[in-house]
Amino acid sequence: MGNERYKILLIDDEEVVLDSCARMLRGGNHEVVSIMDGAQGVELAHQFHPDLVIVDLKMPGISGLEVLERIHAFDPTIVSIMLTGFATVGSAVDAMKRGACDFLPKPIAPDEFRMVVSRALERRRLILETQALRREKEMLREQFAAIVSHELKSPLGAIQQNLFVLAEELSDKLDESQRQRLERMKVRVTDLMKMIQTWLRLISADIGKIRDNFHPVAIKEVIAKAIESVQNEATRKNIEVLAEGADTPRRVNGDEGTLVQALVNLLNNAIKYSRSASEIQVRVTEDGDKVALAVADSGVGIAADELPHVFEDFYRAPSSAKGEQGAGLGLPLSRRIVEAHDGTISVSSEPGKGSTFTIRLPALKTS
Amino acid sequence: MSKAKQLLIIDDDVDYVDGIKAILTRAGYEVAAAYNPKSGMELLKSKPWDLFLLDVMMGRGAEGIMMARQIGKDPKLRETPLLIITGIREQIAFLFPGEPVHPHFVANDELMEKPVDPKLLLERVAALLKASEAKKAKAK
Repeated sequence: MGNERYKILLIDDEEVVLDSCARMLRGGNHEVVSIMDGAQGVELAHQFHPDLVIVDLKMPGISGLEVLERIHAFDPTIVSIMLTGFATVGSAVDAMKRGACDFLPKPIAPDEFRMVVSRALERRRLILETQALRREKEMLREQFAAIVSHELKSPLGAIQQNLFVLAEELSDKLDESQRQRLERMKVRVTDLMKMIQTWLRLISADIGKIRDNFHPVAIKEVIAKAIESVQNEATRKNIEVLAEGADTPRRVNGDEGTLVQALVNLLNNAIKYSRSASEIQVRVTEDGDKVALAVADSGVGIAADELPHVFEDFYRAPSSAKGEQGAGLGLPLSRRIVEAHDGTISVSSEPGKGSTFTIRLPALKTS
Repeated sequence: MSKAKQLLIIDDDVDYVDGIKAILTRAGYEVAAAYNPKSGMELLKSKPWDLFLLDVMMGRGAEGIMMARQIGKDPKLRETPLLIITGIREQIAFLFPGEPVHPHFVANDELMEKPVDPKLLLERVAALLKASEAKKAKAK
């Protein structure tokens, strides 16, 4: 546990228990505060910000379980130990359910007490460390986004545009081989640009922010815009995108632009993994207060062991490595957008037969 | 062509502007450029133009859009056709969630995505100029 100094809050209506606990904690270099009432204990926790709360289960006024519940409601990272006068399995289980990380039967044995406390504090240390790491990761993510955005995207955009211009300007001066190489350069640069843009969207977009501007969005519109946006690509592969139930009057509270993007990503994937001259279906169904948008293809499908990972950042299915390019970010982005809308996204698939991705969103009540 | 049409490009990337400028100049237009919204606005008001080409994703994002709105509100500038050129259409959705994204987030303006196809650019510019002339002739 090292020499870290932790704040410990003791809550028990029996003075003798508080005293003996405080005594057992002496020498541990911790800051210990005790209080004899549950409600006051909760109050104190707000000011004191303890790392560990040790609380008696049975107290007059509010019970230990309730104290725990209230403390965890304002800071779920605080670790806690429940003291139980009558150590029944039931009360221990109850305590653990409410977020206690351990329990101690009374009378308290000093060795056991110190061990349980030390274990709880170790847990607290890990929680804090994890939080710090998560914050660090977030910061790196933001910095990386800034770098990608400013140092890569702008120059590449200028290169791309000038390639397009040069190809046009030189069109009557180049021989066939030169022209073809220039065309390939255009394609490669364009692919690279697309990849950077996808990264950017995923990394820099603070998707939670879109919630500030939620307003009623017609599902019909989302589908129409998403299909329009992939139509060229579909036509190129001779794939027909069919919509079923897409004239639904249902609306969701959300952001149209990002919802369209979430659906476009699913459609792009479906097109990418479909054989040419096949069909992709967009089906809208209603399920109580939820509206479901399903994108079904009859493409290559996804192996069962890959299914749980397809919504993870940067995941690229091993089976997709052949021939198909992509940054593996479309699906995670869709997932984040859908989750920001309090929705869910799921997938079912059968290798060789095709995949179905389903977005479920809470729909607004039809007026 | 009696007198070359006067076009103004406002985009913060010099190399990008050079590319666009080359296409337009070869097609016989007279092209000036501004590399930031501030000097863009000054140049915009300095003399009559036949068409503006505006990158709405200048700098950290919002400035180009603000500028497009300013142009749209100005009764004089509004008469000049505006061709909006944008980096990523979808990105706008993230920067300005909830705002209408496509295609006319500034009413009555044309929008093209980067990279612009040279032929398409010339077509759009010609069409916008023609429409604007027709409008002017009708007003007279």
